[in-house]
Amino acid sequence: MPSKHIEPPGEEPCRRCKENTFIIVVRSEPLCRDCFIRYVHTKVIKRMESFRVRNADPNRQRKILLPVSFGVSSIPLLNIMDHHLKTQKSKTGRTGFALTILFVDTLGVEKSPANPNLLIQLEERFPDHHYAKVHLEDVFRTEMDDSLLELMPYAEVSKVLPLSEQLAVLINSLTSATARADVISMLKTRLIVQQAQFLGCEGILWGDSTTRLAEKSLTETAKGRGFSLPWQIADGESPYGITFNYPMKDVLKKELVSYVELVQPPLTSLVHREPTNTQISTGSKNTTIDDLMKHYFESVEANFPSIVSNVVRTIGKLEAPYSSSSDSHCKLCKMPVVGGQFGIHGWGGDQEDGLAAPVGNVGQGLCYGCSRSMPQVGR
Amino acid sequence: MPPSPCVLCKTNRAVILRPKDHSKLCKPCFLSVFETEIHHTITSNHLFQRGEKIAIGASGGKDSTVLASVLKTLNGRYDYGVELVLLSIDEGIKGYRDDSLETVKRNAKQYDMPLTILGYDELYGWTMDQVVEQVGKKGNCTYCGVFRRQALDRGAARLGVRHVVTGHNADDVAETVLMNLLRGDLPRLSRTTSIVTSTPSAISTDPNSHTNIKRSKPLKYAYEKEIVLYAHHKNLDYFSTECIYSPEAFRGSARALIKNLERVRPSAILDVVRSGEDMAKLVLSSDEGCEGACASTIPAAEEEVDGCGSVNGRSVGGEMASMEQRLAQNEVVAEQDLEVEMTINHGSGQRHDEHDSGTTLRKPGKKRGGKEKRGQAFLPKKTQKQVMGQCKKCGYLSSQEICKACVLLEGLNKSRPKNGIELGYEADTHRIANGVNDLQMQVD
Repeated sequence: MPSKHIEPPGEEPCRRCKENTFIIVVRSEPLCRDCFIRYVHTKVIKRMESFRVRNADPNRQRKILLPVSFGVSSIPLLNIMDHHLKTQKSKTGRTGFALTILFVDTLGVEKSPANPNLLIQLEERFPDHHYAKVHLEDVFRTEMDDSLLELMPYAEVSKVLPLSEQLAVLINSLTSATARADVISMLKTRLIVQQAQFLGCEGILWGDSTTRLAEKSLTETAKGRGFSLPWQIADGESPYGITFNYPMKDVLKKELVSYVELVQPPLTSLVHREPTNTQISTGSKNTTIDDLMKHYFESVEANFPSIVSNVVRTIGKLEAPYSSSSDSHCKLCKMPVVGGQFGIHGWGGDQEDGLAAPVGNVGQGLCYGCSRSMPQVGR
Repeated sequence: MPPSPCVLCKTNRAVILRPKDHSKLCKPCFLSVFETEIHHTITSNHLFQRGEKIAIGASGGKDSTVLASVLKTLNGRYDYGVELVLLSIDEGIKGYRDDSLETVKRNAKQYDMPLTILGYDELYGWTMDQVVEQVGKKGNCTYCGVFRRQALDRGAARLGVRHVVTGHNADDVAETVLMNLLRGDLPRLSRTTSIVTSTPSAISTDPNSHTNIKRSKPLKYAYEKEIVLYAHHKNLDYFSTECIYSPEAFRGSARALIKNLERVRPSAILDVVRSGEDMAKLVLSSDEGCEGACASTIPAAEEEVDGCGSVNGRSVGGEMASMEQRLAQNEVVAEQDLEVEMTINHGSGQRHDEHDSGTTLRKPGKKRGGKEKRGQAFLPKKTQKQVMGQCKKCGYLSSQEICKACVLLEGLNKSRPKNGIELGYEADTHRIANGVNDLQMQVD
């Protein structure tokens, strides 16, 4: 299915090269295929400054992790990085970094998980990199402490269960679709971070597009995690103790959808398309806050792409409070909770104190947002 | 299925599914929980002081009516020792405001509170009908918006009241948080999440000055749906108005999103409010690069949450589109290696338009975010670098020599026909009533 904004080749020439006829209008500029591909690559490579060849120690290869979900962002990211590394190699004889590709299998956990066979195809197409695959349940195996187990019902019993069952127990203990989606994404992030460290990577390249980051910003706001936003979309040292990079930050999702189709050879067969609902029902028990925001920003992006980028720019202006390593971190999302204000109580909007029967939830080391997803913890 | 008992008293039959957390309550328990929570908000934030005279900004709508009723109840029950009065603003729109003012008059009797109705004509010498007669339908909303912002403060000063409470609820605040994220307006986000706003006291030493009026919103954490339920179950007498949003405008967009979020997860409204409060702490108080001149110059009283956005009728659909256009232009400039950013963008004719949109040039080469930032120690909040002064004419807090209201008034007065203004071209008045439909709830 060709995406909407690919125009039929018209008479008008490309605004940049002035030679070819335009094929797509990008931010009100008609571009030909080549100029569009170059446009996307430039936006991404610009954010990879710190990984230039001249910054690399010739005796020690820098390694970075690129997690792929087979979505419309991570596959183009890999394609661009692959191309970038080849260019570096041809120009200087070496590369600024090496990539490790990681796929987290969520079979049995997520609604429509990507087919793991896609990983084989990916490796065939981009053979120069290391590939690794883990299943989400491995998060229980590789955790350094029992913090996850403590969040589960019957922690003592759960501890001895097989990993897959531990995961099932945890997910099934959650009471809403939003909570499940929320916890699954937290676990994924934790697992990816663990793997990056385990595989000796100094940082992670996240595929999030502008649109995805705006979506994430408002999703987290709606989940009560506004406090952690400065850490959620910023490049640099993350609270997980590893560097996060968002090279796709300046590219819109709709541009990536076009990129997948227009790049030569196309990436279409490598991208896992989730069944898209044009309408989402807020009445449905399966609808999540994440779904809602995704849908919302798809519509904003269609008509107001600059507003989408402005949201990300705005969030980027929030100043992360200085957090020392002694600060307490949330047991689930791992974000530093400055001032140690865990749980959903103890703030102005908490009115339970005024009631005769206060609810005994003290948060148990969960931040406000995570307490909303796991209200049973600490009960 | 047997009727479920109330989860609180465990005896009465539950008849109310509480919007906030979906708990099942009986009517007396719901009313009592609702009141207790407002009491908690008031006491934990130390909103009131014994002996204080407090004006309730009353529009006759649900929020301000519930606020008046609950405050009356709580003041009696917990002996706050405050004196409550009702203050209504009459914009002077014939055939439109009358019904809601009648409601406020009945409320005054029902709650035994003195009521003052102040008209734009008394405050400014002009009713909105007259303004419209003068400037036409187009652009009159600018006048109304600017006048309204000061009206409650001016009214309070006349009554010798230093504290005005308004009926802004949790939905309004949550909506404003999302709206300001979409508009990229962090300074306003930061201020509107605060439960108390007041103009800096240092500005004026005159106790009767209207630049030092405290504003607070005791219903800040109350869900709109619960306010409606409370009004219903208490048989409160209020005037319902419809507020139609322009579907494309920021507030309309944010409002729709908030309602959807509430449907998916009822706690989401409160969660957005919480996020807003937390983010407010992360907003750099001074606007680097523009020395506070671009975004922070809004007197507290001018940036209230505005319960029912009145974008209707003026910037229909154009607000987001015009911001999009400006941002896109900025992006083009940014491509040419200048880092340019949009701070706030107020579409023309939009209500918060008293200061111009700012385009901030940043020093090129300075990278934000990332490592550098985290290296810094957490800076305690600096006081706002506002270049605020007093209007030379009326004394109102203003970043300019003459405040916007006085500027507009000057223009109006200059061209005032000597024979005065005739009211009442039937058709016109009617059209205005539609266009300014939303003015009604402004004090709300």
